[in-house]
Amino acid sequence: MSRIYVYGVVRTGHPLPTGPTGVGSPPEPLRALPAGALTAVISAAPDGMLARRRDIIAHQDALLALAATGPVIPMRFGSLAPDEDTVRARLSDRPEEQLAVLERLAGRVEMNLKALVVEDALPQLLREDGRLRRLHSQLRAHPGYEASIRLGQAVAEGLQRRALRAAVRTRDRIRALADDTAAGPELDGCVLNLSFLLRREAEEEFRATVADCVAEYTGHADFRLSGPLPCFSFTALPGQAAPARRSAPTTARAR
Amino acid sequence: MSTTTTTYRDDVACVPRTGTLYDVIDIILDRGMVIDVFLRVSLVGIEIVKVDIRIVIASVDTYLRFAEACNRMDLEADTRSRTVPELFGGAGGGGMVRKAGEKGAKHAAKAGEKKAKGVASKAKKAAGGAKDKVRSALPGRLGEAGD
Repeated sequence: MSRIYVYGVVRTGHPLPTGPTGVGSPPEPLRALPAGALTAVISAAPDGMLARRRDIIAHQDALLALAATGPVIPMRFGSLAPDEDTVRARLSDRPEEQLAVLERLAGRVEMNLKALVVEDALPQLLREDGRLRRLHSQLRAHPGYEASIRLGQAVAEGLQRRALRAAVRTRDRIRALADDTAAGPELDGCVLNLSFLLRREAEEEFRATVADCVAEYTGHADFRLSGPLPCFSFTALPGQAAPARRSAPTTARAR
Repeated sequence: MSTTTTTYRDDVACVPRTGTLYDVIDIILDRGMVIDVFLRVSLVGIEIVKVDIRIVIASVDTYLRFAEACNRMDLEADTRSRTVPELFGGAGGGGMVRKAGEKGAKHAAKAGEKKAKGVASKAKKAAGGAKDKVRSALPGRLGEAGD
């Protein structure tokens, strides 16, 4: 029994990339597995596969190369099918829905923006926040563990608020450039983890607008802009909820 | 086409890095189409990678670190008021030297802090110590904190 590793779903006739190869060491070659109008891009799954760095990069690179020549529905890393028939059966099950997703992703990329708390902003925060200064002088007058915790917690919340405000304003400005947005998983230290679905042509303007916002909110939040990515966050079939989240979107706290 | 990550720290956009996994690993492992009859590669492997990127810090440790940083800031401001006039005097030329020195030191301190943050995911306490060392080893930093 040899399992199949599935990278993504494309339209039948989509050229396979020649350069990059698949997961495994040595890398497994990519193959097309067509079923009607849809084709799964697959390779053999190496024995004893784990979530290794090399394999995660291979998965990502294969999808990026595929996306360069047309739309692709990326599978989550590590999707294995027991055999080819299982994959074909899935492709043949309501193919029009998957074709609609491909249509939506055509000519588009995903960009991901993360906003992080700036710990260096402590001096400004202390200047601006009277309550913090009060807690601070209390601590100096009566040093102690409890007072330290209270001050530290207030500082952490203050820094978080500062970063979140900047992140929300940035989000509101750049959202108009995107077709859609999707909240990413909540990460420690991140006040915003949001993916944008963009027309390829809009990428430059998007980057420029992000850079403007960053300049405006300097010292409030650190930003990390990643992309273009395969459209991992926009694969939901019509009428199907987005991939389940373990926790509420970070942005909800903004309100 | 390749994925790049641009990091903006303060108003400095660092050179975009290509092919880094760190910034997008949450997307690759958490997003993408999922088909229920498919198996997920060795779930254990995936969970380990995830835990690795979701830096777990005990909140109390963080709070104490912030409180400590507040106290240190005052100390630094005191030191500066005594030493900086002696070092640079009131001359116009001296001011420029000071400004340039501060700028260089600020960048060096940032680089040092970044390294400290990298270590932080594995040993937060050790990183705290490293940050202190970076701060105390770079006098230019004192001016910044007191400004």
